Amino acid sequence: MTNISISSIIIYFQKIRRNLSSNLFNTFLSLVLLLIISLVCLNTFEWLIFDANWKVVGSNLPLFAFGSFPSNEHWRPAIWIISLLVISIITLFGPKWKWLRKNLLMAWISTIPLGLYLLYGGFGLTPIMSRHWGGLTLTILLTTCSSLLSLPLGIVLALCRQSSLPLIQKLSSIYIDVMRAIPLIAVLFFGQLLIPLFLPVGIEIDRVWRAIFAFTLFVSAYIAEDIRGGLQSIPKTQIDAANSLGLNQYQIIQLVLIPQALRIALPALTNQSIGLFQNTSLMAILGLVELLGVGRSILANPEFIGQYIEVYVWLAFVYWLVCTIMAVLARHLEKRMTINPANF
Amino acid sequence: MKKSQKIFVQFGICFFVISLVGLLINNLTINLTRTGLGFNFNWLFKPASFALAEHPLPYSSSDNYAWALFIGWLNSLKVIVSSLMLATVLGTLIGFARTGKNALLSLLSAGYITIIRQTPLLLQLMFWYFIGFLGFKDNTFIHIKNIIKISNQGIELSGLTLSSEFSALLFGLGIFTSAYIAEVIRGGILSVPKGQWEAFRSLGLSEKKGLLSIIIPQALPAILPGLTSQYLNLAKNSTLAIAVGYSDIYAINDTIINQTGRAIECFLILLTSFLLLNLLICNCMEIINKTILNSRKYN
Repeated sequence: MTNISISSIIIYFQKIRRNLSSNLFNTFLSLVLLLIISLVCLNTFEWLIFDANWKVVGSNLPLFAFGSFPSNEHWRPAIWIISLLVISIITLFGPKWKWLRKNLLMAWISTIPLGLYLLYGGFGLTPIMSRHWGGLTLTILLTTCSSLLSLPLGIVLALCRQSSLPLIQKLSSIYIDVMRAIPLIAVLFFGQLLIPLFLPVGIEIDRVWRAIFAFTLFVSAYIAEDIRGGLQSIPKTQIDAANSLGLNQYQIIQLVLIPQALRIALPALTNQSIGLFQNTSLMAILGLVELLGVGRSILANPEFIGQYIEVYVWLAFVYWLVCTIMAVLARHLEKRMTINPANF
Repeated sequence: MKKSQKIFVQFGICFFVISLVGLLINNLTINLTRTGLGFNFNWLFKPASFALAEHPLPYSSSDNYAWALFIGWLNSLKVIVSSLMLATVLGTLIGFARTGKNALLSLLSAGYITIIRQTPLLLQLMFWYFIGFLGFKDNTFIHIKNIIKISNQGIELSGLTLSSEFSALLFGLGIFTSAYIAEVIRGGILSVPKGQWEAFRSLGLSEKKGLLSIIIPQALPAILPGLTSQYLNLAKNSTLAIAVGYSDIYAINDTIINQTGRAIECFLILLTSFLLLNLLICNCMEIINKTILNSRKYN
């Protein structure tokens, strides 16, 4: 028993040796890299533990999480974020009961109305204006609402671009190409400053919804292209088969094309939503106090002036953590959705 | 669908879009007359009366708005082209390190790619600006004779001076895009069948020669489209310059809107300038693409 494990360890080390020192140059490179890595790690740990002044993060944790939400109502966004975390954990590690798995999608979608109810208040909760929303809560709200809204719009745009009617095809092509040619910040700027000019006098939409609207317009163009890629890779025989089964055009789209296109486009779509999460940080320039905006306002506070490194490292960590959670969820979803490629 | 039905549906949708646009424009005119601004471009030729820290061509605050916008466009082009080169060089190196034989190097570049890709660009730009350049406590970081000097004033490279805003943007954009380019390069190299590697090795070619004359020419057609889209992304991302106070085309439009309130006109100008930038990059890449494909054909 010990013999086997010792020999396997020896083989393992031999493998490492072969990988790292196949010739003299490689050995040298590996040694230098090891030296650099250990130096960087040591310095970073020393800074993280001894030199950094984490008071700026510790004393502002509620601000980072909830922005300027009234402090006696903090439990509301907290419940929302915790419920999102619990659903993520159930999705990843939960039991494989059939009824649970079936209703998971509904649970994910219902978190958005739940979040909006908890944030807005009303129906028994104190109403809170959207200008008090902020921090991680606002970042997650922007991401979830815009992804949910842009998916159907993207599907419609992709179908229009594939349509046999030339006028519709042209219109959606123009929309998609223009949206993809302009920078996101211009679209967000349009949302914040120009949308009020296009509305009739007296009607106003609040800033958060204007931002969600702008994100939706922007992301749907990218999603449309991803789904178009999916639609194009569906073999033509699928449509012939559906036709010969006697399905009509809407049934073909609904039952044959969209499910397959979505499954093919899934990795691209999850990348879009991770990108969207990162891009919500642009709203910090345009005046919403989301996660990065909170960081900026804290750095403008004379008490914490000059503590850029601590705040930025902390923000980078939070963004990285949420992105990683999203990426893990996405990989889980992709694994569940793959089918045997031999069936094609 | 029958032909008459098709025409009817298209007509209906066209009518809907036109009436929607008409309604929006109607609202816009009402709002613009209410605020007393109207819609015209005469203001372009009035003096801009703001200073620009960086201008590749002569500029003073008595020049007109149109000239200021052109300077902004040039500034954008300057930062796009230089960070594009940095990103390509870095990205290629990291892409090769990622696919290379050295496991440690490959692991290290994988870590680099994940960390860069999973934090927002805006945060990285601010990091480079406020910590990387403004953070030097004793003003000078590196000072090697007269060749290179890095300080909180920017970079001085044997006579060439780069402001700290420009340098932060150059590093931020370059490093962010390099992580994406590395993935493109890696995808391109992996798309070359393994048999090609075995074939050149069995022919007795050295690794370097085989990589240069067998693998890379075959990987290029897979790499170039991805590279083009990364360059376009870089051009779009360069508008984040406003966060570090570099006066690119977006920042100058923003200043003008704050001064004159001409939001609609400035937005149209911004769209047009980006259309021009996109066309420029696409055409250049198309030319490069063609040259490379042609050179392969005749060899």
